[in-house]
Amino acid sequence: MKWFDHLEEVLISVLLAAATIVIFVAVVHRYTSGLPLGAFQDFLLSIHLSWAQELCIILFVWMAKFGAAYGVRQGIHVGVDVVVNNLSPDNRRITIIIALCAGAFFTALVAVLGFNLVWHNGMAYAVLSTLGMETAPYYEGPTTPDLEWRTWVVYLAVPLGSALMCFRFLQVLVNYWKTGELPHHDHGHVDGLHDTDPFPVVEQKP
Amino acid sequence: MSALIIFGLLMLLMLTGMPVSIALGLTVMTFLFTMTSVPVESVALKLFTGIEKFEIMAIPFFILAGNFLTHGGVAKRMVNFATSMVGHWFGGLGLAGVVACALFAAVSGSSPATVVAIGSILLPAMLRAGFPKEFGAGVIASSGGLGILIPPSIVMVMYAVATNSSIGALFIAGVIPGLLLTLFLGGITWYRAKKGNFPRQPKASWRQRLKAFKDSVWGLLLIVVVMGGIYTGIFTPTEAAAMSAVYAFVIAVFVYKDLSLKDIPRVLLNSASMSAMLLYIITNAVLFSFLLTNEGIPQSLAGWMTEQGLGIVVFLIMVNILLLMAGNFMEPSSIMLIFAPILFPMAMALGIHPVHFGIIMVVNMEIGMITPPVGLNLYVASGITKMGLSALTVAVLPWLYTMLAFLMLITYVPEISLWLPRVMGML
Repeated sequence: MKWFDHLEEVLISVLLAAATIVIFVAVVHRYTSGLPLGAFQDFLLSIHLSWAQELCIILFVWMAKFGAAYGVRQGIHVGVDVVVNNLSPDNRRITIIIALCAGAFFTALVAVLGFNLVWHNGMAYAVLSTLGMETAPYYEGPTTPDLEWRTWVVYLAVPLGSALMCFRFLQVLVNYWKTGELPHHDHGHVDGLHDTDPFPVVEQKP
Repeated sequence: MSALIIFGLLMLLMLTGMPVSIALGLTVMTFLFTMTSVPVESVALKLFTGIEKFEIMAIPFFILAGNFLTHGGVAKRMVNFATSMVGHWFGGLGLAGVVACALFAAVSGSSPATVVAIGSILLPAMLRAGFPKEFGAGVIASSGGLGILIPPSIVMVMYAVATNSSIGALFIAGVIPGLLLTLFLGGITWYRAKKGNFPRQPKASWRQRLKAFKDSVWGLLLIVVVMGGIYTGIFTPTEAAAMSAVYAFVIAVFVYKDLSLKDIPRVLLNSASMSAMLLYIITNAVLFSFLLTNEGIPQSLAGWMTEQGLGIVVFLIMVNILLLMAGNFMEPSSIMLIFAPILFPMAMALGIHPVHFGIIMVVNMEIGMITPPVGLNLYVASGITKMGLSALTVAVLPWLYTMLAFLMLITYVPEISLWLPRVMGML
């Protein structure tokens, strides 16, 4: 499982970095191609980056869906815990288990709904035609406006990400059942605070 | 009737402690499956198209930029600069705390991180200098929230997305209220320090000030990159956010050298999961607002309001109370995404300016972070001060009252928010 966890982490980090670079390059390109740079300018003008926004959105949709699954493992999804924390230990345990089951149920539902939509909007056609079978009731499905990629491929992020998220909820649930511990994310964590010298001040004599 | 069922269900689900995003999504699904004949396909489609807007993509970029600079080293430079400028006045280190929080919060974008970073550096120093603990805790906990009002602000992007307002106009509109609130918080700090005769620091020379300014200016220029870029039209808000992320990377790694290249994967991973969490809330909030609109709830609420003849004053007071209450239970992004679609049509029916209404909501969020019993900043501050929540609640009271007075001012004097964007031709 370790390699799988790691793969998930690398995937979302790379998607974020890639999106940043894409937009940075597109903006730099927009302004440098207006400069009189001779042959280099002609080269710049020959590149079209009008698809950058669309690519950025696609990268972020994938990052969002898989990152949400990673977030379950990290306990980053915040909820209202005032009431739960004031319950008796037994009731608290039951409520938390119900909440985790609800999470798993919702994400499973989204995975099924999402897969259904993707299947009927191009995936079925692609799969059946690759297998050399009759594609009759299905159609090729739409493409994205700029990149002209099949939308079902792009939207595959929803069922895949949501299924993974469901799996993570179940993992957290099993772990809670066994150890009574939930993952907890520290929203106020800041690096580099404890390796600095104390801030110099004029002390007052008591 | 359906409004009661929807909100009842949402409350019930949220009280189990499940993530707000899941509670929103489950409410929508349950209601649609059991009470309506809305085809499931339309819901499924919303799951895909909910976050497919280029404006929303500013959020991950701003988070990445903030995370590059959310570092003890940056916090220390801000504290140094603030102390060299205002440290010799009454309440020196306290005033410096307010200013440092404003600067660091604007750059890092996270209120809890601001409380922790500035608090960990300044609180021990304040105690050694002879300040009472309650005073220090009050200053830091209340000023830590300044970040969501001073642009670039993620909560403002959320409002813009939920209501189709202009991100640029909101950012510009936040400038004067942000500075004014810093002034208000500084004012009450100064007044209380003068009354309590708290210690002052020796006056820094202009040479020291210049050096502290040079150290901190690289971080502060991030705000200039974003605001300048949007205002001059060089960048769209999302492009400005991406550029600020690249800028923050260069500053953190090559100028400040707080981070080395091998820290970058960790920063990327943290930013990605934080952004994914917010985008997940947005996706489900879009579903939720689709359900509300489908049931005609915002419209009928707006209709009911005009029928009752409720004026702007009563409406805005109700908004303030509602949001402050919500601020006790949820974090700002969730509140914004749930309440903006409901309240916005009512505000429009009463003729309130969309940008002004956004600023009102943001100021409410900010106060919600320090209102007892469960303001987020109070929790974080209690972690670093080792004070109980009830003791902290008392400690922040003077600042809380100041912020409430400020809220009234912002709510009933629209020009504070609208003057600058109008002068700059952004309305």
